[in-house]
Amino acid sequence: MNPLDASGMSLFEYHVLLALASGPLHGYAIKDVVAEESSGTLTPRAGSLYRVLARLITSGLVADAEPASDTPPHPGLARKYYKLTAGGRAALAAEARRLKHAAAMAEKRLGIARSRS
Amino acid sequence: MRSILRLLVRLFPVSFRERFGSGMVEQIEQDYDRARTRGFLASFSFALGTAWDLVRSGIAEHVNPTWVSAQPTLSEESDMRSSGQQWMTDLRHAIRSLRRSPGFTVVTVGTLGLAIGVNAGMFSVVNTVLLHPLPYANVDRLVHISGSAPGSGLPDEFGVGDEFYLQYKEQSKLLQDVATYNSGTSTMRAGDRVERIRMSWPTNSLFSTLGAKPILGRLPVAADEDHAAVISYAMWKSWFNSDPAVIGRAYQMSGASRTVIGVMGPDFKFPSDGTMLWISGEIRAEGLVPGRFGTELVGRVRPGTTPAALANELTALSKALPRRFGGSANYAKTIEQHRAVVRTLEQELLGSVARPLWVLLGAVGIVLLIACANVANLFLVRAEGRQRDLAVRRAIGAARGQLVQSQMAEAVVVAALAGIVAAILSALTLPAFLRAAPSEIPRLGEVSMNLTTVVFTLGAALLSALACGLLPAVRASSPDLTRLRDGSRGSTRQRSWARDGLVVGQTALALVLLIGSGLLVRSFWAMRHVNPGYNTENVFTFQIAPEGPTLRDAPSFARFELDFMDRLRALPGVELVGLVDNIPLNEGTSTGRFRTEDMGTNPDAGTLLNSTNAAGDYFKAMGIKVLRGRPFELNDHVSTLGNVVISRTAASLLWPGQDPIGRRLQAPGLTSWETVVGVVDDVMQYGFRDTPQALIYFPLVGTTARSRWTSSPAYVVKTRRAEVIAPEVRALVRSVAPTAPMYRVYTMAGLARDSMVQLSFTMLTLGIASALALILGAVGLYGVLSYVVAQRTREIGVRMALGAEAGQVRRMVVAQGARVVGVGVVIGIVVALVSTRALGSLLFGVKALDAATFIGMSASMVVVGLLASYVPARRASRVDPIESLRGD
Repeated sequence: MNPLDASGMSLFEYHVLLALASGPLHGYAIKDVVAEESSGTLTPRAGSLYRVLARLITSGLVADAEPASDTPPHPGLARKYYKLTAGGRAALAAEARRLKHAAAMAEKRLGIARSRS
Repeated sequence: MRSILRLLVRLFPVSFRERFGSGMVEQIEQDYDRARTRGFLASFSFALGTAWDLVRSGIAEHVNPTWVSAQPTLSEESDMRSSGQQWMTDLRHAIRSLRRSPGFTVVTVGTLGLAIGVNAGMFSVVNTVLLHPLPYANVDRLVHISGSAPGSGLPDEFGVGDEFYLQYKEQSKLLQDVATYNSGTSTMRAGDRVERIRMSWPTNSLFSTLGAKPILGRLPVAADEDHAAVISYAMWKSWFNSDPAVIGRAYQMSGASRTVIGVMGPDFKFPSDGTMLWISGEIRAEGLVPGRFGTELVGRVRPGTTPAALANELTALSKALPRRFGGSANYAKTIEQHRAVVRTLEQELLGSVARPLWVLLGAVGIVLLIACANVANLFLVRAEGRQRDLAVRRAIGAARGQLVQSQMAEAVVVAALAGIVAAILSALTLPAFLRAAPSEIPRLGEVSMNLTTVVFTLGAALLSALACGLLPAVRASSPDLTRLRDGSRGSTRQRSWARDGLVVGQTALALVLLIGSGLLVRSFWAMRHVNPGYNTENVFTFQIAPEGPTLRDAPSFARFELDFMDRLRALPGVELVGLVDNIPLNEGTSTGRFRTEDMGTNPDAGTLLNSTNAAGDYFKAMGIKVLRGRPFELNDHVSTLGNVVISRTAASLLWPGQDPIGRRLQAPGLTSWETVVGVVDDVMQYGFRDTPQALIYFPLVGTTARSRWTSSPAYVVKTRRAEVIAPEVRALVRSVAPTAPMYRVYTMAGLARDSMVQLSFTMLTLGIASALALILGAVGLYGVLSYVVAQRTREIGVRMALGAEAGQVRRMVVAQGARVVGVGVVIGIVVALVSTRALGSLLFGVKALDAATFIGMSASMVVVGLLASYVPARRASRVDPIESLRGD
């Protein structure tokens, strides 16, 4: 049983999955995309980022990947790329649905949706 | 900074590192570069935050890889912030609670502060002297070259001759550059100032070999011959007031007028601190006499050359020397036996001081460990008192990590305060420590509290906080919830292993230090009781180097010196005056092959002996016993009688089992014969570890008017006023020889102290460390037992109410202490058996595994342990049964 299925996904993990949804990325790029897409609220440091990646890999949501063929080789470093698995894609979609639902409920209760209509 | 962060990556499990390590390092590097563009503060806070993240994540990955964060839905940054806030709250609480128990705070901060302070001081010495590479380019490629010739009768290791230099320089494929350097003292005169200074006579290649450039002027070239001088930065500053115009001016140096052509930088101190002047030249093959050994060589090897490979090459090259330079048959034989000895320059310059310094750093490190154990114990006891409080917090849902953190906060505050105390302490005591240290330690003058030391101090404080706080905090954070049920203080028996373990460790470590310093004290004692063959009390000695038109040969120098000795004898309080060419404990004697009449005429025959010149009442003033015959008389000095005095060992080497008086011997290079008129006791020339030298004493004048004269002997003045007579002697020198600098001014007692300073300094420092360790260990044991007694008051009360005797109760508590100390002593002995070997050559007259020291120190440790247990035991035996049971 995937431990992350049970709505236990953190915002950080969500953003990592989100970053990888557009295609394989290497570690440092994931960090940059996460920082950008969370509007700077998430700027993961190396230790935390790789622990989360490790956990997502163990959960089967993320896997090692070949870099896209047009990526220029990075000098001096054999970079590792990571990609979303099918399971990861599904988990991300589920989490997105859950967030959407949760957001809708909040809007409803706070009267945001009603004042608009 | 980068390297520290890279190091922290190693906190992660190996499998994790293999998979993600390079990615993490890449991210850290790039983030650090980015942060650096935003200034120092940004990079510092980045480094701090990343370090914390790595430590936290690294440890968490070990403990539980699926556990990501205490509050899993918080973002990492806000997680940081909230954990930061939690820390702030915990730290505030910790400060408040520490202020409520000032006794605990003072004891823990004091203990840790003292221990970290001595570590910071010792580290700053080790850091400057041993860890900072020598200030030469590619220092790992610099080597020192000397020679050995097993079986030749020459010393185990000796400086080679100029012909070796030429051969090596021209033929060696592994040496990129090589230079000779001799050093000594010489007279320097600039205007009115005349002083004897330390200087060196290298080849021009010295500077290129070391890769050193002047900060002013230029380096010497072959065309300068020996008319040019390069001066040190220190001399430029103190003699010439840092005036750049000094370049090109000529001064009287080392007996000739020479022009200053360059000033070296402040780091250039070759071969030793205090070298003021370099007068360099070239060595030419024409007219070179082979076999004049004693020259030091420094070389720069090509990349990738090992000392062993170079030694092999140089040994092979030397075999061609007799063919190229000629020399006697004896020389050819020596060359046959010759082996080049190569070691790195670092080993050569630092080798002898490295061991004592590392031993001392290890010793103060042990003191820190003991202090940490003590403080950890105090924290354990403190946490014990909070068991109920923690159990309640756990029961109402506090995470274990939160409890650990709140407990750790106190340790962090204590360690931070201790770090501040330590920094202040070491800054205040470092100068005194450095004054006590042997001056032969290179670059001691540069030791100071610098950034590295401060970082080390903070690191030590941080580690201490972890060491002191983690065990108590982790233990306290898993409180026994059943305690909430019965509401009692509970039995502490099952928890005592941690406290006992800490005391066992303390005892063992303290014993190791005690045994080490015990061995050094015994060595010192043995050395103090060595009979060096002379008396060091009440003897004042100095040298002068007079020059002048009347001083031109051996007899004229002898006349001056005899007259000068008469004047010295007239000074108030002076009993005896003598002179010698090479004063023991300060200078070495010269070596040569001496022949007896029985040895035939072969120039290579002869026994290797040392020689020096002596006059006046030298033997009497120094307390050197005349064993047979007589010492020198005035006639021996003023006329060419050819009489000599020899030492006991020389006599037994030359004429074993026979009476040497009246026999004749021949000095190397001479055709005349000397007659032995007296035999004196052997003296230790180089120090108290020395074996006595075979020594021939010549009278002052030498054998003929053309023989080598004694131009700057050491005068020996026997007087009870040895410590205070210097100014009067100085005034006398000024009136007799106004231009002669007075130097090597010592009392023999002072020279004796200096010769033992390495041992006495190490002994003193190790002694202080072990005393600290002993006190801390005793206090630790006392604290633990006091606590146990307090905990068991009820139980003891019940026992006494049921009829137990006070003596029985005392025995019970002391026995508990004795058990812990006993285990500690056994472990300590085992550790000491292995570790006292580190003292190695520092020891004298005692073995590293000396049974008496081991037994004696272990016994003292046991006695101190029992004493520390007895005080709480007495308290226990006075428990009033009624009083103790009333509580419930």
